[in-house]
Amino acid sequence: MDLNRLPNDKKLQLCKWYFKVGCMFLPFVWAVNAVWFFKEAFVKPPYEEQNQIKKYVIMSAGGAAVWVCVLAAWVTVFQTHRVSWAATGDSLSFIVPLGRA
Amino acid sequence: MAFLKEFLILVIVFAIIKPFDCERLHEQIYSSIEGGAACFKRLNGTHQAGCSSSDKGAVGVVQMIYDVTDAQWLVYNATVGPCIAVINTALFHDVIELLMAKPANVAGIIVYHNATTRPTTFSQESKCPNEYSSGPGSQCLSSPTSSNVWNEGGTGLIRRDIPYPIFYIPQTRLEEIEKIENCYKRYNLDRFNQEGKPLCSLQLNSFMFAAVNSAVCLRRSATSALLTPTKVCDPLGDQNVHYSLFPLEKGEEVKKKPITLVTARIDTASLFDGMAPGAASSVVGMASLIMSAVTLSKMIPVANSSLYDNNVLWTLFNGEAFDYIGSQRVAYDLSRGAWPPFSPLTPSDINLHVELGQIGGSLQIYKENASWPLYAYAASSFSQITEFLVVMSENANAFNITLTPEFTTNLPPSSLHSFRRILKNETESGDLPEVLLIDHQGKFTNTYYESVLDDDTNIGFIYHNISVGPEGKFTPTDELLANGIMKETDIQVKMSRLATALARTLYQRVTGKAYTGDIAASAHLADEMLYCLLRSQACRLLMAADYASGSEETPSARPPPLYVGVAAWPSTPAVFAGHLLALLAGAHLPLDRTACDARLEPGFSHYWLRGWNHSGVCVQTTMNFTQAMSPAFIIPALGIDFDTAFRPKKS
Repeated sequence: MDLNRLPNDKKLQLCKWYFKVGCMFLPFVWAVNAVWFFKEAFVKPPYEEQNQIKKYVIMSAGGAAVWVCVLAAWVTVFQTHRVSWAATGDSLSFIVPLGRA
Repeated sequence: MAFLKEFLILVIVFAIIKPFDCERLHEQIYSSIEGGAACFKRLNGTHQAGCSSSDKGAVGVVQMIYDVTDAQWLVYNATVGPCIAVINTALFHDVIELLMAKPANVAGIIVYHNATTRPTTFSQESKCPNEYSSGPGSQCLSSPTSSNVWNEGGTGLIRRDIPYPIFYIPQTRLEEIEKIENCYKRYNLDRFNQEGKPLCSLQLNSFMFAAVNSAVCLRRSATSALLTPTKVCDPLGDQNVHYSLFPLEKGEEVKKKPITLVTARIDTASLFDGMAPGAASSVVGMASLIMSAVTLSKMIPVANSSLYDNNVLWTLFNGEAFDYIGSQRVAYDLSRGAWPPFSPLTPSDINLHVELGQIGGSLQIYKENASWPLYAYAASSFSQITEFLVVMSENANAFNITLTPEFTTNLPPSSLHSFRRILKNETESGDLPEVLLIDHQGKFTNTYYESVLDDDTNIGFIYHNISVGPEGKFTPTDELLANGIMKETDIQVKMSRLATALARTLYQRVTGKAYTGDIAASAHLADEMLYCLLRSQACRLLMAADYASGSEETPSARPPPLYVGVAAWPSTPAVFAGHLLALLAGAHLPLDRTACDARLEPGFSHYWLRGWNHSGVCVQTTMNFTQAMSPAFIIPALGIDFDTAFRPKKS
């Protein structure tokens, strides 16, 4: 979809919709929203809906960043502690480790 | 334009080369080594043992080890990266400790066997086999300083975690070693100028899925992971075989006949997959037991059951190499009144337990001699034991077999340990007296205990290939000796004599009088049995004793590995042993297959086997199989830390 062809109110509606969908534990949608509407929010000359779009873009970007931090922390903890968690570690694993602890 | 010119030249060059050599580049660089057996991984409650490569295989520069200094150079001085050491079995014991102690520069090991240089000792079992499952009074400690050990030359490698893969190349595949050696001599010989040069290397791939210990492995096998529903290991286990002279009585109200339990082991172990010949450690004992059972069944027909108040129960244990899996299960089931399943016995029903232990080790030592010295180990001199020994000695002495009693609680590795541990009260009070017949006093005479070299050569087996008469008639030993086909010194003759002596002794126990007839075990049967178990499964005896199926499928012409199988299905040796007992000692009924399968007679099982003329025969027998799996799997309270052994899946 080409954002340039969309009227401004539709842009806001779309950005808002992406933000809401991202609230359903879908940080990747937030990340897409932030990147996709970045130019609309910060580069384009001001228009009426821009402030609202800006708000959603910032919130989406922030949310995605928080998610990245949380996931990175979890991955680090999981990878470093999986072996010592023994049975719990194995039940949390999606792929059974072969030939190693 | 210049580019196009070069391109054209290249195309021409390739076009010229191609017709001369159609091999792919990969095939020009790599050559596969066939017929090697990998060292595999095993787990117990707390540890992992054995070998595994990484999932991509272990790669290293070939280094032939001709003497200890080569190994020292590899460990301390080699600079071109990890090496694959290629070692002769004769040198293996001298260098393995060094390679285990300094594994940083070792990517893997290839062990090969050259019959011209047979080592004096080659055993990867520990100095005190099954040390941690031994019964009370055992004194064997496998510490490096301990001198009072059974398996003096044992390295214990089979119980240790080896940090790299090891492969074994048998004598029959020696051409592969020549290939490696030629490559080594061509590229790697100049040790001081190896840097930056193309070198001959090997890649060993034996990736094992399982790791850590049996708890982890069981857990991971049970986990139904979404993407990888992989079973990473199987519990070790198999089938025990039992066969009674008379059918065992059922029910509480029936007065049970006192039983003489005669046992031997089926299985053996080895570090390498599919190569566990176990000639001296298991086969001689198992074959002697089967022959003795067959002989006794002819001396006392099963129809005479009502005449006698005693019975003999022959049992072959499986999985003994790993914490006595088979006998441990039987002893445990006896203690809870669950063995044999259809007519359970109590320990007090058994008035004597005789085990035919490791008796093949001294055969080679006495190959020039008609005598065969055996030893009878017992923990105490209970009257049942001494009475048995008096009769047995008498019968054995008649055949040049001496039997020296040895009364000590420090018993050699055998199923007696399971009984003494689990049925402690009964064995110590004399309710269940036990005696072990073996061929060594103190340390083993078999220096290849549970290794790939415990093969037919180790017991000096020479196959005579005598044809079997119709309906499975075997030539009697005396006739073979009179014809000069066999000599008194032949191991087949010695085994048949031992089997006869044991059968006569048991005859006297059952009937109360000495045997005066002329029925004896045949050395011809021993010859066939040893051939089947040590040389080729495609043999007369096993073809006749196999299940009669529609297809006349010939088994492979190699010996069956006697390594205990995984619990999921019975291994070949257990089935062979059971069917041999059925075919040779059972009654052949004139029934067709349907009638045979449908026949029900209390105390008997019916098997439709192929028979001597391969047309199928209905055999009625008291032989049956019971599960040989560690009791740890059926006692949740014990947990799997008890002593389970696992064999991991190979990738």
